[in-house]
Amino acid sequence: MVRVEGLCKRFSVPRREAGLRAALRALVRREYRVVEAVQDLEFSLAPGERVGFLGPNGAGKTTTLKMLAGLIVPSAGRVEVAGFTPSERRPEFLRRISLVMGQKRQLSWDLPAIDNFEFNRVVYEIDPVHYKRRLEELTALLEVGEVMRRPVRQLSLGERMKCELVAALLHGPQVLFLDEPTIGLDVAMQLGIREFIRRYNTEHGATVILTSHYMEDVAALCPRILVIDGGRLRFDGSLEALRRQIRPLRRVSVRAAALPDDPAALGRVVLQEGGRLVLDVAPERVPEVVGALVGLPEAQDLAVQDAPLEEVMRALFGREEAAELG
Amino acid sequence: MFQRAGHLTRVMAAVWRISLAEAIAYRVSMLMWVLTTTFPLVSLSLWSGLAASGPIGDYARPDFVAYFVAAFLVRQFTASWVVWELSAQIRSGDLNTLLMRPMSPMLYHAIQNLAALPIRCALALPIGVLVLTLTGGLGWPSPGSLLALGLSLTLAWLLNLGVHVTIGCVAFWVTESTALFEVWLGLYLVLSGAAVPTSLYPAGLAEVIRALPFHASLGFPVELAIGRATGAAVTHGLLLQALWVAVFGALATVLWRRGVRAYEGVGA
Repeated sequence: MVRVEGLCKRFSVPRREAGLRAALRALVRREYRVVEAVQDLEFSLAPGERVGFLGPNGAGKTTTLKMLAGLIVPSAGRVEVAGFTPSERRPEFLRRISLVMGQKRQLSWDLPAIDNFEFNRVVYEIDPVHYKRRLEELTALLEVGEVMRRPVRQLSLGERMKCELVAALLHGPQVLFLDEPTIGLDVAMQLGIREFIRRYNTEHGATVILTSHYMEDVAALCPRILVIDGGRLRFDGSLEALRRQIRPLRRVSVRAAALPDDPAALGRVVLQEGGRLVLDVAPERVPEVVGALVGLPEAQDLAVQDAPLEEVMRALFGREEAAELG
Repeated sequence: MFQRAGHLTRVMAAVWRISLAEAIAYRVSMLMWVLTTTFPLVSLSLWSGLAASGPIGDYARPDFVAYFVAAFLVRQFTASWVVWELSAQIRSGDLNTLLMRPMSPMLYHAIQNLAALPIRCALALPIGVLVLTLTGGLGWPSPGSLLALGLSLTLAWLLNLGVHVTIGCVAFWVTESTALFEVWLGLYLVLSGAAVPTSLYPAGLAEVIRALPFHASLGFPVELAIGRATGAAVTHGLLLQALWVAVFGALATVLWRRGVRAYEGVGA
């Protein structure tokens, strides 16, 4: 459904020093700095997959998404989506896809959403019978029957986002691009939209490609994850595989009447307090360590877990966090 | 073929409906717009004052009245504002929405302009009639020249649209494309016939000015409306208009195509 080979995007950004003198010099001769937003990306997606793009701000996720949707033209490389070259933006291609951007409104501000839907019906050449059925289905699922009759500017962020989704799905796209679809929404709304996207994917077999800052979105929705950082593909696989790659150690915890004399010999000690011990242990040593801990007097609550997701993300996006702190 | 044409008609009707609804939502600002583009009416008061003591060139006082009321109406009928919309959409990234629809963004802008026409006419016509009543009459064009006038107004609108898209597309590369349009507007006010009928410029200069796109977009249709362009001048003027439409149409097409390739789709 999606094939990407050697995909690159370079932006030239005007550059000048601060101050009046530099401003005057920039009038005469502008200097440009080339930014490699996306470099040599390579992957392919099968029909019906749900894939999440993960990465810190400015990593190239949205740029990649925009190239897949045909909004911006690649500097080099090949993209094929649903058998088309997206940047040609042929009507047949545009009728097969949809792009929803959480931070951009696509509905006309002063009209009720229903007018926008009707407009899409004509522009996307949706058969009236299909349109009616799909509109009923979508408005029922997203509970916007009442909301869609009010001017869009009066809607809350969440209500608006739901209407954006209806507008994006009326023509039954085979490929759905979502850029931060849940940004700024409360938890209940996030859950609702997440569930809705999953349902659309399973019921219509559509390919879903998502970028989000909310780890939970990606974790709950996407069996496959592409980590893009510095414009390059750093990882391609399941969330579990990602977790084990970033934090290969297992977290083993136990509660007992007496703890071992030298817990550091078993693994890295995360916590040792009262009768509780938490260790990070290399996978191959887990059976041995579990064996030792089970033998402790009154051992209970023995658990072996993967590292918590937040820690994985902190390790992965450490740079972003450092920037925020600094 | 017929199917495509049918689809196109339906799309145009849909854009029309949605734009009309938007235009109605913005009717107050539209009235303001009509009122603030009364520049020809300002020129009218100036020139009819100057002509009080006798005709200037071949314009007597009533001729000035007819000329500038017609100029005011022609401006309302052929106006475009794509340059503001387009450059704002390019800078904000709102162009994304238009680019993702299976219809040409240029067609969308064109129909949106047309859709505002009925409201503009409804607002502008009473003002025109009021001025005419206050200043005393205007000879309406003969039915025979109405066809030429309709054609000329259409060409003037297309020319304005072409200019607007051409300059608007500059925003793909430069932030201040609307500043460029201000320059165009300055030249337009002087050279189009909005301030002075171009036939009043000194001989030699007048011929040059009357060959420029500014005159083609305003002065010529006005002269046609008040019966000052007749015979061969009609054909000549229409051909000149068509030529400028072709020039700016080609420029707009090239800049749009290249611009979309350079577009960075700003905004998250």
